[in-house]
Amino acid sequence: MAYEDLREFLATLDKNAQLLRFSDPLSPEPHLGAAARAVSNLTDRGPALLFDNLDGYERGRVVLNVVGSWPNHALMLGLDKDTPVKEQFFEFARRWDAFPVEVGRREDAPWREHTVEGDDIDLFHLLPLFRLNRYDAGTYIDKAPVISRDPDDWDNFDAQNVGIYRIQVKGKARLGIQPLPTHDIGLHLRKAEERGENLPVAIAVGNEPVITTVAGMPLMYDQSEYEMAGAIQGSPYRIAKAPLTGMDVPWGAEAVLEGEIVAYSREVEGPFGEFTGYYSGGRRQPVITIHRVSYRTDPIFEHLYLGRPWTEMDYTLALNTSVPLYQQLKKDFPEVVAVNAMYTQGLLGIISVRPRYGGFAKAVGVRAMTTPHGLGYCKVIIVVDETVDPFNLAQVMWSLSVKFHPAHDLVVLPDLSILPLDPSSEPAGITHKVVLDATTPIAPEQRGHFSQEVDAPAETEAWENRIKQLLK
Amino acid sequence: MSTPTIPDTCPRCDTHEVSLLTESPVPGRWSMYLCGVCFYSWRSTEPGYATDPATYPAAFKIDPVDIPKMPVVPSIPARRA
Amino acid sequence: MAYRDLRDFLATLDENGQLVRLTDPLRPEPHFGAAARAVANLTDRGPALQFDNIDGYERSRAVLNAVGSWPNHALMLGLDKDTPVKEQFFEFARRGDDFPVEVERADDAPWREHTLDGDEINLFHLLPLFRLNRYDAGSYIDKAAVVTRDPDDPEHFGKQNVGIYRIQVKGKARLGIQPVPAHDIGLHLRKAEERGENLPMAIAIGNEPVITTIAGMPLAYDESEYEFAGAVQGSPYRIAKAPLTGMDVPYGSEVVIEGEIIGGVREIEGPFGEFTGFYSGGRRQPVIKVHRVSYRTDPIFEHLYIGRPWTELDYTVALNTSVPLYRQLKQDYPEVVAVNAMYTHGLLGIISVRPRYGGFAKAVGMRAMTVPHGLGYCKVIIIVDDTVDPFNLAQVMWSLSVKLHPAHDLVVLPDLSILPLDPSSEPPGISHKVVLDATTPIAPEQRGHFSQEVDAPAETEAWENRIKELLR
Ligand SMILES: [Zn+2]
Repeated sequence: MAYEDLREFLATLDKNAQLLRFSDPLSPEPHLGAAARAVSNLTDRGPALLFDNLDGYERGRVVLNVVGSWPNHALMLGLDKDTPVKEQFFEFARRWDAFPVEVGRREDAPWREHTVEGDDIDLFHLLPLFRLNRYDAGTYIDKAPVISRDPDDWDNFDAQNVGIYRIQVKGKARLGIQPLPTHDIGLHLRKAEERGENLPVAIAVGNEPVITTVAGMPLMYDQSEYEMAGAIQGSPYRIAKAPLTGMDVPWGAEAVLEGEIVAYSREVEGPFGEFTGYYSGGRRQPVITIHRVSYRTDPIFEHLYLGRPWTEMDYTLALNTSVPLYQQLKKDFPEVVAVNAMYTQGLLGIISVRPRYGGFAKAVGVRAMTTPHGLGYCKVIIVVDETVDPFNLAQVMWSLSVKFHPAHDLVVLPDLSILPLDPSSEPAGITHKVVLDATTPIAPEQRGHFSQEVDAPAETEAWENRIKQLLK
Repeated sequence: MSTPTIPDTCPRCDTHEVSLLTESPVPGRWSMYLCGVCFYSWRSTEPGYATDPATYPAAFKIDPVDIPKMPVVPSIPARRA
Repeated sequence: MAYRDLRDFLATLDENGQLVRLTDPLRPEPHFGAAARAVANLTDRGPALQFDNIDGYERSRAVLNAVGSWPNHALMLGLDKDTPVKEQFFEFARRGDDFPVEVERADDAPWREHTLDGDEINLFHLLPLFRLNRYDAGSYIDKAAVVTRDPDDPEHFGKQNVGIYRIQVKGKARLGIQPVPAHDIGLHLRKAEERGENLPMAIAIGNEPVITTIAGMPLAYDESEYEFAGAVQGSPYRIAKAPLTGMDVPYGSEVVIEGEIIGGVREIEGPFGEFTGFYSGGRRQPVIKVHRVSYRTDPIFEHLYIGRPWTELDYTVALNTSVPLYRQLKQDYPEVVAVNAMYTHGLLGIISVRPRYGGFAKAVGMRAMTVPHGLGYCKVIIIVDDTVDPFNLAQVMWSLSVKLHPAHDLVVLPDLSILPLDPSSEPPGISHKVVLDATTPIAPEQRGHFSQEVDAPAETEAWENRIKELLR
């Protein structure tokens, strides 16, 4: 079920009627951003959008919203496109357990076809770059895995990092990047700068969707994203050596940019419209110089719209945020049934549990706030019973409406850490957090009158199957 | 068509005042019964959870002595003078 | 666009692919309840279910889930079946402004075809009555319009009440009913009992969907449900006189039962699986003696599955709860944009507002708790900005994730009134309530960093229209 490259995945989307092609002449701004925003506004079952007639380009192509719907997300996992979100979650979590899956190496990568170096590089000619949101500082690359190595441990494959960071294109071969200190690339850069060196990087643009998803996942420092991608796709992930830097990059990438983060450089970057629905503000951030570009004939620029949820970003982060939180909670609390932390990357999360005793659900909610991801997220945690599907928000609202008693079920924790991008935090990076316990109180708690819950009539499941067939 | 045998015991309150509520319009398909104490009713063709005093769940059983203590909705007003 | 009767509406559902006919021989228990539960579990776009081969009956028919999905709800309003919920809300609210629309009277009602009196009556032969949920006390009628008059003012058309109450069928011509004191029928019964009289009433089973929806709506005491139904369907509502009691009943009903609530009698009724997802417990409630039944040839038994949300009940009360709350809030707060109070009949509600100044949104939330319906509901009120669609829960989760600060935005009100059916209330009928303010703080509040929200790119709306067409 593994996809060889972006083109193969697009062909699968096309077969499943999940790809729309636009061949009328269009200027990139504002149309490309608008179209991607529009498809997310309309539906959570929308198609990818392929543009192949862009003003000023002979044969430039842009694809947006590749994983921007539940059917597309299911197809990424090789599942039927109608697979419910909850089932996608369990399948994703199940495959995670196969980690690590050793990579497959091959040196005949299609991006070896063409090379440009030094002053010949013009990223704007290579890819139809464009401004996404109205007040972004410029054109960005926001969906490309960035590969870097640990300068103190260069040959350690597992410490090689594959992550997605926003990259402002500041010149034909000059980029700005946001390597947050808490991320692995931030650690690599700090070590390089301590050594007085630049940090070599490779940027792989346009990939099959699994590596993009895994690159956005909070893995441990020495866990290889490629070995996780192999687990998620169910077969060894195919990589190739980038010719200049020696970085391991996806075999199927459309374009591979190689260069280095210039040590000690900090230069204004942003603002950029972020996944919180707010612009990031401007910051002084490192600069990358590109030395070499390899690419396939007529490379496709794969890009992602982000902004106020829901956008493609929320689909790509949905399970790769939820599943790690689930795995971490499960270790001490096997009673955790499922985790839906897909709201603004887990600023709000919903956890379903089978409570062991009174008060237990609140403990699980508070624990979520102290997991690695929770330290910067998990501002609002809603805990529901195991019989409630946390991916079904109407069921979650029901739980809050009948099981939640504000005298007993609100736990407010003052002044905890949060990512500074949370616009409500004050000062930026500090906020109260809250657990809303919408589980049924159990012993030793004695309150309410919950003993006679209406269960589904006998034979309900058989009827679900019968009606499902009739509706096909 | 033989007359149906009326069950001896109400599945819910375990009293013995069961009567025939009705028979199926198409004769012989089923009968329905009614408890004269707790007004529970059931059809002869229903699964055991609804018809068998032994398997009727404890949480839903009714003790006849509790019936007069149940809330009255709405309460009965005094007559106008 | 008005539907003449249930059959007319079913024909429209059928034309739209929203009716499934099940013709294999089936026992009512557990299949009817299970099938209706199943269709609600599977989808919010499901069809109505018609059973026409029922064990023990020659030619009986039962219909479930008639309004049990958003497409069916839209068709009820004469709208395109794909109309989004938010648009259905605004259309419903807009039509409500035409209230009152005078009724139309006709005396050739199809239910005059057949009549049964006194000992001839056997409701179990007339209609395929069945147990819905496993531990219901017996067979119920739960979707019929019950019509009563004010015994002190019997000629007053506006005070004539049309409501839906759960009715246990306790004998061939004997019913139990739940006339809650707060409801209009409770007032009618109290007056009759004060006068030492029985309360005459008519029960109309099997109707076009608008009157059923309006009968479940909290109107003022002297507002006529028929005149409101006329406003909502956009033409005079057609009624006819019931022959024995003189009650005004829908012209198009399948069956009209006439009788009286016996004054001074209370008898055990219930439990019955309720819209909270919990059984109601047993109570001592009034009894109805049926004297006369009028019906069409081969009447259809229209019934409604109720239990843990979502079920058909939640669709039928969704807008008839949300719209009155909206209209009441609007009177003092024209800044209220929309109200989604469809979670467990408004135990949880979401209100979108354009706040006037800091703290304003919280006041709107507290006001919702003191409107007539709010006194028994509105335990959890979430307030969102006017730019958020309260019917889109993913957007609501986003608002909570980035705009709610638990130090400032949680308002807990202790020990307020709530309907006793809320299983978390303690004692039953008393609960704390909470407002979650997920609006952006504005002056004089100065907190957070909300100034740079990402708005949609230019041309987004044009692209929504283009993509909508392509996805058809
Ligand atoms: Zn009994």
